[in-house]
Amino acid sequence: MALNYLASISRYVPELLSVVIMVGLIFIEACYDREEKKKPFFYLAAFFGLTFVFVNLAADLSKPATMIFTGSMTIDPFSTLSKMLMVLGTMGAIYLSKESKDIYDNLKSEFAIMAVGVMIGGMILASANNLLMVYIGIETLSILSYALASFKKNEERSSEAGLKYSLYGGISSGIMLFGMSHIFGVFGSIQFADIIAGLNGLSTAQLAVLLPSFIMFFAGIGYKIACVPFHMWAPDVYEGSPLPVTTFFSIVPKVAGLAILLRVTMTFFGQEGALQVTWVGALSVISALTMTVGNVSAIGQRSVKRMLAYSSISHAGMMMMGVVVINELGTRSILFYAITYLFMTLVAFYVTSFVADKYGNDHFERFSGLIKRYPLMAIMMTVVMFSLAGMPPLSGFVAKFNILGALLSEKHYMLALIAVLNSVVSLYYYMKIIRLMVLKDVESMEPIIGFGVMNQSIILVLTVPVLALGLFWSGIMRLTEGASIFLGP
Amino acid sequence: MITLSSYLAISFALFVCGIAVMIARKNIIAILLGIELILNSAALNFAAYTRFVNHNLDGHIMSLFIIVIAAAEAAVGLAIVIRFFQIRESIHIDDATQLLQ
Repeated sequence: MALNYLASISRYVPELLSVVIMVGLIFIEACYDREEKKKPFFYLAAFFGLTFVFVNLAADLSKPATMIFTGSMTIDPFSTLSKMLMVLGTMGAIYLSKESKDIYDNLKSEFAIMAVGVMIGGMILASANNLLMVYIGIETLSILSYALASFKKNEERSSEAGLKYSLYGGISSGIMLFGMSHIFGVFGSIQFADIIAGLNGLSTAQLAVLLPSFIMFFAGIGYKIACVPFHMWAPDVYEGSPLPVTTFFSIVPKVAGLAILLRVTMTFFGQEGALQVTWVGALSVISALTMTVGNVSAIGQRSVKRMLAYSSISHAGMMMMGVVVINELGTRSILFYAITYLFMTLVAFYVTSFVADKYGNDHFERFSGLIKRYPLMAIMMTVVMFSLAGMPPLSGFVAKFNILGALLSEKHYMLALIAVLNSVVSLYYYMKIIRLMVLKDVESMEPIIGFGVMNQSIILVLTVPVLALGLFWSGIMRLTEGASIFLGP
Repeated sequence: MITLSSYLAISFALFVCGIAVMIARKNIIAILLGIELILNSAALNFAAYTRFVNHNLDGHIMSLFIIVIAAAEAAVGLAIVIRFFQIRESIHIDDATQLLQ
């Protein structure tokens, strides 16, 4: 037994390292003087530690999939790859928080600590293999996120964002638990492996209990992805939170939520039957609605941050379409989409953040004539916007193409049509920002402090994958090849 | 005679009460209480199913974790409510309108 746990821990190093990093960061933060603004060692430790976790995860990719801790967690290439994405997203958000003026100086280190904590929650969620781990993962993710959302503690909008986030979060996790309790009642176990075994030979009465329970269970996951019936909190929270927090929210919880949605779908609904038909039907409607609502609401926005928030809802809808497919092709296309989405979102939010720091708000007009003052940044923003809209030859196009291919392979023609129409709609609001940057005159020639050499080169580095993945995407697709969901030996 | 169905009926009643509280009450503290009702209905379900249907430890562990995590969540939620109260001087949900379009 003891040996068993040792073997489990040997596959659980990245998570443990992240916990050590979080504790270590708290200690380093405590060693600095209260007045000290710049904390060089703090960020050095954060980035070094997270890079170390990333390398560790990358080394884990080639190892065989296994279940650890008596089957309560799965370590498979799929979960490892989504954890790598979360680590990258966290690093991106921490760097932005260091540079941004949107977070109070004395709270900057706390942002990094809590971001690592949320990342740990996401890692638990990505490899959760029983109902308890799902609950713990979602709550670790959520509770720290509530605090992050109300980070500007003297500002009304930020604390209101935190309030709304925590109330909606509490309700949806309560509903999810109620659903879980009935799933447990029917199957008599919280382990996914036992639930799969019990899926054959259900009576009609049991199915009648299970279907609403699964829908309730979905409420908790859907809330983290911000898909349609549970998306009301998203625009408000994204707008009220400081920009680095918004960046963080639109990457890490989304990837974690999609990972667990995919795992739950592949585990419980992999076999054909009444359950699968209902689940696929519900997911198709929800994903189509999520895309459409996100896109249509994004059109009328004045604030770029709010526009990006709505567009992230519609991208989540697009990724959910890959879940509907329920095969390996869908899994791979979602992972590829998430990789490209990570880089596009980071660049878009970086540029928006530095512009917003200069003017105090992030309305569309603030981008006027950016190309005349910072041509490189304007070009990067244009590339990213085209990629988000899904124009070839950028990576956003390949990502959408993969999802459409997966949809068509399973004959979901209607969904594919909705996805294509939505890309056309999204083109409108992405082009709006490009039009302002290129065609309008400059408002003022004052320099934007955020666009220093260092930040410009980081944005450049982050844009390279957006271009490169559009042209040489076969390499990354091969990386996702082994990344199917591990259901058991 | 107390059977499984009486426990399930009670927990369902708690769940409905929680939802009703959250929809009907405008006081943020009351809404937090409603969330607690829902969480406890789920915990009761887990304990009842373990007692009557399957005699393993899974359900008890779930209930314990629900109690612990609900406390953590309530702590953070209350901290945010206090912050909101200090800024707006109100704990009425209708006063949280800064972010509406």
